[in-house]
Formats: sequence, structure tokens, C-alpha cells
Amino acid sequence: MVSLLRNQKVRNALLQVLYVGSIAAMVLAGIAIARQNLAAQGITSGFDFLFKSTGWDLNFSLLPATANDPYWWYFLIGIINTLFLGTVGLTLATIVGTIVGLARTSSNELARLLGRTYVDIFRNIPLILQVFFWYAVITHLPTPRAAHEGWGFLLTSRGLYIPFPNVSSAALAAATLAVIAAIALPIWLGRTSRLSLPVGQRGGIQLACAAAALACAAVVLVAGRLADLPLLDFPALQGLNLRGGLRIPPEFATLAIAIAIYGGSYIAEIVRGGFKAVGKGQVEAALSLGLGPWRVFMLVRLPLALRAMLPILANQYVWLMKATTMGIAVGFTDFFMIVALTINHSGQTIEAIGILMAGFLAINLSLAAIFNRINKAIALKGNQLRG
Amino acid sequence: MISGNRSSGPAVLIENLDKYYGTFQALRKVSLSVDRGERIVVCGPSGSGKSTMIRCINRLEQHNGGRITVLGTELNDDVGNIDGIRREVGMVFQHFNLFPHMTVLENCMLAPMIVRKVPRADAEATARRYLEKVRIPEQAMKYPGQLSGGQQQRVAIARALCMQPEIMLFDEPTSALDPEMIAEVLDVIVTLASEGMTMICVTHEMGFARRVADRVIFMDGGEIVEQAPPDEFFTFSRNERTRQFLSQVLGH
Repeated sequence: MVSLLRNQKVRNALLQVLYVGSIAAMVLAGIAIARQNLAAQGITSGFDFLFKSTGWDLNFSLLPATANDPYWWYFLIGIINTLFLGTVGLTLATIVGTIVGLARTSSNELARLLGRTYVDIFRNIPLILQVFFWYAVITHLPTPRAAHEGWGFLLTSRGLYIPFPNVSSAALAAATLAVIAAIALPIWLGRTSRLSLPVGQRGGIQLACAAAALACAAVVLVAGRLADLPLLDFPALQGLNLRGGLRIPPEFATLAIAIAIYGGSYIAEIVRGGFKAVGKGQVEAALSLGLGPWRVFMLVRLPLALRAMLPILANQYVWLMKATTMGIAVGFTDFFMIVALTINHSGQTIEAIGILMAGFLAINLSLAAIFNRINKAIALKGNQLRG
Repeated sequence: MISGNRSSGPAVLIENLDKYYGTFQALRKVSLSVDRGERIVVCGPSGSGKSTMIRCINRLEQHNGGRITVLGTELNDDVGNIDGIRREVGMVFQHFNLFPHMTVLENCMLAPMIVRKVPRADAEATARRYLEKVRIPEQAMKYPGQLSGGQQQRVAIARALCMQPEIMLFDEPTSALDPEMIAEVLDVIVTLASEGMTMICVTHEMGFARRVADRVIFMDGGEIVEQAPPDEFFTFSRNERTRQFLSQVLGH
């Protein structure tokens, strides 16, 4: 018996059992207490509420939604809203971050100073403050009658109005898919091993594929246009209100701007770090071969910087995805806000929060998985590098 | 031993070159003329300005005074001149500086295709020929990180040669290598030298200098202290600093 307890493997196994056992006991105790309390308050637990109609409306939804729709449909809309806001916010943040980050690495002193000021300001103010600031700015824009106007865009306190194609929503979805294909197909063609053509000689096919996909998008848009209306619908004043075009609500615009500007300041630092990590030697080698500054940037500095940035960037993206929950501060119906409303209206706190956590876990784990794949695919090969 | 076309002037002409880093003067009135086909070895203690001097020749460093003329073109702020000179001057670095995200073959094909506008097929043929010459044709599809230091440095030499330069600069090409890999790199450089390539090589490999150099140059404190053919340099050097340096590098 004594010798068994002194066995390292037995000891490890015993510790594991104790550890898992105590956690399981805590979880079970928690569930038991929660059930008891819920029963005392007369709340039935379970997921039946998902199929009841909600009885309240949403102020923003990419899919049709009415108060008669069930909770599960609202949750789905919430996830799509969050993904949509996240995609727009992350894209804008990346653009802002790249510009500011490059400014910070440039040889121009003024550009460096501006970049540094930007980062110092927007990285050090809490996100929620920035959200309120931009919300105040946007809701204090002029009324529709006095809207700022330019190139068919209208800037008002009711949101940003932009020209929008007069096409059926099915055609619009198809066109969007075609545009995504126009970007994704060439990338896939450049990497796949199923083609016998050597990787370097696929430029023609890639270009043809992208062109074909874009042509498809154009054809779908033209074919799917609504009868008797111009292809592009410009917003215009009608009576006291604006008609036509696409309205981007102030809440969405606020969050997209806040995430872009706040996230941009973090991404700028990642971009700067990435470029600093590129060895001076590689740049000198490229210069000594007679490559010009633009080629050195595109062929050597950028590809190497990107590899240094990507892991940290993935981390930042996951962070910013969670920042979409700021929606609740200005009343944008993202996933978090819909869950919060659900709790208010149905009382199913534990279930709703469980769904919220599962939803965010799924979103962010997928994001991380995608980035890990990209990371692996472009990782530098070998371990003999120096300099 | 002397080859090349003397009538068209020296390959590299350096006159009264000054170079400052802030207030520190790295080069003091350095003058040097290198004929076409001539093989120069530059040696000297660390910090003596050897690397700075050859890095000025393809403008990786900007000089602050004096003149540098490469193949008849003066190196000044004219971007066209700089590009033109870099095209004709190949450089090999201490730390190889290969592009780690490209295969060996791509490393060798990149500049010829972009700078010299050579068609892909020709660039590949040239690259494979030079990889053959540096004796690693079988590594063409590998990435730099998958090769040993000696192999990487030979790829770096092939990469520079693919631009078909008139002049080759070597900046301590074997200093970062493990001892057993130094020979394989030096062998390649010796072959190149025997074919009449104009080269300036900063190195501490004195055996190599004795075997290959037409002239050995000793630098100290940003100045050229002494220059002589290797036999003379190693046996009858007059200067105290040279003798001290030689006793340190040859002493053991």
C-alpha cells in the first residue's frame, strides 16, 4: 500500500481525480442551489421559452423580424448583427490601424508625431467613453431638412443615408457572395495543390476567375433590379423625412466608428511592431539587389511584417469582437443586448446567459481557428534563420 | 593574374571619402582605386571602418565627403545613378540576409525578374545555373531556414550572381559561420576569383587573403594604413599597427 502511494503515476492519477471531483462537486452544488432558488421564485427552467414569441421589437436587424417571432430567431438575428458590426468594425479598425501604424514607422517626423498622438489619445480613453462621445456627435448632427450632403450621401441625426442599388434582397445576397468569391477564389487558386500548373504561373487564371466572379455580381445586380426604378436609389428629402437609399442608423454608425478608432489605435501598435520586427538585413539585401523602395516594401517588408503581426492581430480581433457588446450602451440590438432584453422579458437568466456565452465562444473560437490556419500556412519554414 | 579592361578606367574609385555617424568619424579621407578584375581583401580590427567603406560603395551608407565613382558613374543623390550602380554591384552579407519567406530559387529569381526584367523561364535557368555553381542545385525548392549557415551563404552568393554583376562586395562572408562551413563558402569565392570577377572582400581569413588577393588593405581608425600584395603584406609589413594586428590574427 505504501509503495503504491509512492508511485509517481498513481500519485498523479489520484491528484487528477481529486481535482476533477472537486470541480464537479462545485458545479453540481451550484446547479442544485440555482434550481432551488428558481423553484422558490416560481420560474420554470429549461429552453422551452426559445419557441415562444418575444412580444418586443428590434431597432436593427438584417433579417425580417417582428414581435411575433420566437426567441431563437431573435438570438440568431443577434448573432448576425454582432457578426455584421464586428466585420465592419474590424475592417475599418484594420484600415485605420495600418495607416496610423505606417505613419508611426515612416521617416517623416510629422507623420510619426501625428501617429503617436493618435495612439496616445485613443488607446488611453475607455471604449465606453468613446462610444458615448461618438453617439453624442452623431445624434447632434442636423435634422434631415438641414442635412450635410455630398456625392449622394446624407449626414443627419437620424443616421447616415447612402445611395443603394434598387435590387431584390435575394439578388443582393447573391451579388455579395459573388464578390466574396472574387476575392477568395484567386487566393485559393494560388495555394491549392490540385492544379498541375506551377504556383508562379497562375496569375492569368486568378485574374480570369476574379473577373468572372465580378461579372456575375454585376449581371445578378442588373437582372435582379426592381421594375420601373433606377438602378441606384438616392436618398432625398420628402416632406419632413428622408426617403430612399440605405439608412445606417446612428447606433450602428456610432459603434462602427468607435471600434474602428479605438481598435485602430491598438492595431497601429501591432502594425508598428510588425514592421520593426523585420530584419534590417533583409531590407539591405533587397536594396543591394537594386529593388526600389516600393518593391522592397511590397515584396520584403510587408510579407515579413505580416507574419510577425498575425498572431497578435488575431488576439486583438477576438478582443474587438467582444467590444461589440457596447451595443447595449447606445441601444444597438447586438447579441448581448438581445440576451439582456430576453432576460428582462422572460426571466430565463441562466439559459440566456448560457446561450450568450456559447455564442461568443463559438464566434471567437472560429475566428481564432481561422487565424491559426492562416498563421500555419504562411509560417516561415525551417529553424536555421539568423540576423 | 591581372585581367579585365584597364582602358575603361577603374571599377571602383574612392577619393578622400569621409563618413560620420553623428560626431563620430568612421572614415577619414579614404582613397582607393580598384581595377577591373582586381581582387582586394580588406582587413583590420573591429570598428576600423572596413564594412562602412564597402557599404558606401553601393550606398547602403551615405558618405559625407569625397567622391565614389563606380564603373564610371559617380555615386551621388541621383536615384538613377544609385539604381544603376546597385544593379552592377552584388553584395554578400555577414548574416546572409536571405528572404526567409521565399524558396531558394525565388530568392535567386526575384531581382533579375523585377530589376532586369528577365523573363521567368530565363531567370529560372540562370538561377539554377548559379545554384549549380555554388554546389547546392538540389536545395532549390527549400526555404532558407531549412539550410545550414554555409548553405545559406552560398545561396546568398548565387542570389547576388544572378544579377550578373560586374563587381562583388563581400562583407565578412564567413564570420557568422561554424568553422566546418567556412571552407565550403571560401571555395566558392575562390572559384569566382579565378574567373576574373572584380571583388572586394572584408574578411579575417588570412589564408584566403594570401591565396586569392591581388592586394591586401589594412584599415585602422577609419584610415587605410597599409596596402600591398599579400606576399609583401604578410612578410614585410612596415607599420606597427599592421604588425600588431597580424600577430593577433595569425598568432594561434
